[in-house]
Amino acid sequence: MSDSIKKVCVIGAGTMGAGIAAQVANAGVPVVLLDIVPKDGTNRNAIAEGAVAKMLKIEPAPFMSKSAAKLVETGNIEDHLDKVAECDWVIEAVIERLDIKQGLYAKLEAVKRDGTAVSSNTSTIPLANLVEGRSEAFKRDFLITHFFNPPRYMRLLEIVTGPDTDAGVAAKVEQFADVAMGKTVVHAKDTPGFIANRIGTYWIQLGINAAFDMGLSVELADAIAGKAMGVPKTGIFGLVDLVGIDLMPHLQASLTSTLPQDDPYHAIARTMPLIEKMIADGYTGRKGKGGFYRLNKQAGRRKEAIDLATGEYHAAIKPQGPRGPAAKGDLRALAESKGDIGSYAWAVMGGTLAYAAALVPSAAADVVAIDDAMKLGYNWSAGPFEMIDKLGAKYLAERLEAEGQPVPEMLKVAGERTFYRIENGKRQFLGLDGEYHDVVRAEGVLRLADIKLASKPLLKNASAALWDVGDGVVCLEFTGKMNALDGDVMKLIVQAIPMVAAQYKALVVYTDADSFSAGANLGLALFGLNIAAWGEIEKLVAGGQMAYKGLKYAPFPVVSAPAGLAVGGGCEILLHSDAIQAHAELYTGLVECGVGLIPGWGGNGEMLDRARKANRMPRGPMPAVAKVFETVSTATVSKSAAQAKEMLFLRPEDGITMNRDRLLHDAKQKALSLVEGYTPPEPPEFKLPGPSGRTAMGMAAEGFHKRGMATDYDMVVSDALAAVLSGGDADVVDTVTEQELLKLERETFMRLVHEPRSIARVEHMLETGKPLRN
Amino acid sequence: MQSVVIAGYARSPFHLANKGALARVRPDDLTAQVIRGLIGKTGVNPAEVEDLIVGCAFPEGEQGLNVARLIGLLADLPISVGGMTVNRFCGSSMSAIHYAMGQIAVGAGEAFICAGVESMSRVPMMGFNPMPNPELAKKSSVYMSMGETAENVASEYQISRAEQEALAVESQSRAAAAREAGKFADEIVPIETKGGTVSEDGTIRPGTTAEDLAGLKPAFDANGSVTAGTSSPLTDGASAVLVTTEDYARKNNLPILARIKAVSISGCAPETMGLGPILSSQKALARAGITAADLDVVELNEAFASQAIACVRDLGLDMAKTNIDGGAIAMGHPLGATGARIVGKAASLLKREGGKYALASQCIGGGQGIATVLEAVE
Repeated sequence: MSDSIKKVCVIGAGTMGAGIAAQVANAGVPVVLLDIVPKDGTNRNAIAEGAVAKMLKIEPAPFMSKSAAKLVETGNIEDHLDKVAECDWVIEAVIERLDIKQGLYAKLEAVKRDGTAVSSNTSTIPLANLVEGRSEAFKRDFLITHFFNPPRYMRLLEIVTGPDTDAGVAAKVEQFADVAMGKTVVHAKDTPGFIANRIGTYWIQLGINAAFDMGLSVELADAIAGKAMGVPKTGIFGLVDLVGIDLMPHLQASLTSTLPQDDPYHAIARTMPLIEKMIADGYTGRKGKGGFYRLNKQAGRRKEAIDLATGEYHAAIKPQGPRGPAAKGDLRALAESKGDIGSYAWAVMGGTLAYAAALVPSAAADVVAIDDAMKLGYNWSAGPFEMIDKLGAKYLAERLEAEGQPVPEMLKVAGERTFYRIENGKRQFLGLDGEYHDVVRAEGVLRLADIKLASKPLLKNASAALWDVGDGVVCLEFTGKMNALDGDVMKLIVQAIPMVAAQYKALVVYTDADSFSAGANLGLALFGLNIAAWGEIEKLVAGGQMAYKGLKYAPFPVVSAPAGLAVGGGCEILLHSDAIQAHAELYTGLVECGVGLIPGWGGNGEMLDRARKANRMPRGPMPAVAKVFETVSTATVSKSAAQAKEMLFLRPEDGITMNRDRLLHDAKQKALSLVEGYTPPEPPEFKLPGPSGRTAMGMAAEGFHKRGMATDYDMVVSDALAAVLSGGDADVVDTVTEQELLKLERETFMRLVHEPRSIARVEHMLETGKPLRN
Repeated sequence: MQSVVIAGYARSPFHLANKGALARVRPDDLTAQVIRGLIGKTGVNPAEVEDLIVGCAFPEGEQGLNVARLIGLLADLPISVGGMTVNRFCGSSMSAIHYAMGQIAVGAGEAFICAGVESMSRVPMMGFNPMPNPELAKKSSVYMSMGETAENVASEYQISRAEQEALAVESQSRAAAAREAGKFADEIVPIETKGGTVSEDGTIRPGTTAEDLAGLKPAFDANGSVTAGTSSPLTDGASAVLVTTEDYARKNNLPILARIKAVSISGCAPETMGLGPILSSQKALARAGITAADLDVVELNEAFASQAIACVRDLGLDMAKTNIDGGAIAMGHPLGATGARIVGKAASLLKREGGKYALASQCIGGGQGIATVLEAVE
């Protein structure tokens, strides 16, 4: 048996199979994607090839880069099944039919190597049935790996092993799924629907039943069972529209036929005539003619909602949803709300939480697995047991009892206690044994949240904090709204530098938040603009330049570890780091032009330096300048870390971490690896094209303007950018120092700040979140 | 004056830049293969060739360092053969032919290989380091993008989008028919690439209809009429002709295609550079002592449909005799290679179709036109 997975085969090129193959390729691992031979047509690989071609077009994109797509080798199961012999893991993602899956396994058994893992992406069929008739050897290599849609973006992977599954084989798959594919593995038992879909389907059914029974509007139902409950704002009906209404009867049929007779699901599983009619008429949700909601194109893309009583659409209303604490995460207040809100909230939440509580230990070993599954598989902000902690386990038990409902064992175990607690700086969970146990992070998983539980910040102000993350490494964390950057952040950086230099080895810039940083605090900037506090604004620009250069030339290594959004000033701090360890889902760019400005915290020079050192960049004063101009003037944001590398925000040697939970650990290791013999970089000196280059960039911009792709004011902003990138009045024989470039950047920035059309762009961005195209 | 003839013509297949089959072929290698092909098919003794003159619009990067000399060495020409790179943008390789003719006239040689090349995949238009003079940019439109000049011609001559598209459809259909009939076979030198031998053009879009083209967005001006479908595509390709004295050709049994009767160069307004062929053709025709009505074959480079139509109109050309096997909208326009292609093509067509006179002319970025009048050799 080989130790690691070097090549994967995915069989079944539907949405799931193709998406899983793409994620394997995103990990840089070659993958064979096979499907059946189409009944008609001459190209026997048409289905798999078509799936790859389609994935290159759709958004959100399954591939992180075009080069990833090249790692997918397509074929068909009649001609190419022998390729399985080259693979270390075969993932079956064919139609949910036991006979077809079993038939395929029989063929696989003939061609696969011993020790090559085979897993099914089934969401409904028990493992025991899948391996019926297979050899002992096959059973040792077999497990279930249940991915969620879309596989690139959904972090949950449920793994189910059978009694015969070899632990080494399962560990090999789990390790690959975790580290290479970036999935968080939750171990589920071999029970129908596993964890997330079992609870999720129950929750959806409860929500639909209650809305019909109570005569609620879908808008109100989703307002209650949405954000107020810590669930994405699509709520229940919006979610069903998204996944496809026609999927619901299949899920229902599968669960009713496989769940034990005493499972509470049987009592709530219902078919609604309206929903049956909607499916029959093609109203299957977003992919169909519409669903519980639709955008009415005849009425100017008006958002409409269906009336559950009449089946007629009406303009979607903004319902009078939960208010006060009930809207802000106080689940007790939500459940106790008066009228429909409280009744509906209780019907959905009480029932779902009770159901989830009863699944330990039958479907999952502990409460952590259940919470992780719902948070990662359904994007709930808190898992069922975390929700029960907010609601009160005792409250839930008493209210269930009062209604004559059974009280799950787990709730009895908890009694008046919570399911989670912090003990000696460690997060612990309550086991079925009535004892608390540490929540154990896998090796290589480090979360700032855990560190915060156990320690106090070294430094802290309103917008940033500094934490000791062990081994001589400190972590700079942004803490403002959207991790926006302001004077306080810069102040903390300036304070941190001597402290780290004196007492620590390295610094990592990292936050647990979904967004690394949305850039400079525009609200604050606008306030300054409106009161014409030019001096303050210039101080903020100069302060940022100084702080970032301080990091760059500090006598210790600085590693930035961004995930999610890192734009504007949030991108510039990456550019000033010795190295970047990025999460694969990195959306970074210098977007200042979108708000009528240019990068002002040293981003121009850092990008120029990266571009001129880039592989295969032609020589001469223009190519690097033109490349940066193209990227920055269009405010282009990467759609992945791999793409950020192509765009030069990341250097070739910068690292990419696939699993979000491993990012801080990886960044810390990277920083430590730079410590020995560390010397700060030498300031760059530039040869820039001066006014000739500015003219050339102006001509390029004019082409976009003529084509209607750049506005009048884009021309002004892009000319300001061109002026900086070309070195202002520099002659091509001059040397431009970093300091000279910073001064030019600062002066040009300040010139733009005075422009009313820039101010209008900033205002518009703050109000609408979208760029103003003036 | 010595009679100077075109004694052979060859070209590479033409392929779309960046995505075509020649994108990964170095332009020097590409041209060397074409020159070997030309020598092979004409049977000229390379030792007697005076000079290799290569036209190239952006002679830098892989097209730099006097690429003509490098191509000569790659093509294993004898060390005694010279090498010179000529740049007159799109007119480069036609200028190479004119230069050869001049050298012959002053008695500085009997046989010249005049080639042209452009890999628009590997050396970008404008070059790697465009550094326009800011002062000149203010007072002149000499740096204007080619697409914009095509729009200017369209509006000055009131050439409708539909009219441009009709020309493009005709160009595509003639090129497709010519290929189908094997009419390019004798001019194409198959090119060896890492991906295999390339022996067919990759630019032609058979079956292009007016409806297809009507659906395209304007390519250069949101309110304009010029689209990608009515512009010549960015192209990779190389071409070459053998230029000799008539005496030399006859003595050595070279395949004489046509005699060069007259040549000319002219300037025009940069913002309507597409009109360049009008004056240059008029001058060349006058020097040849003929009028447009005497022409049996015309090769007029279709940089853009709009400028080609304007030139046809003002020169009074007969479309039935113009670009018989399709023009650059279908064939592609590898800038430096086009001049030698259309002179070689016009000469070959004169031979194939019969007739007495042919004209090859093209517009040149920055505001110039260039023309060559050919005469059939009995």
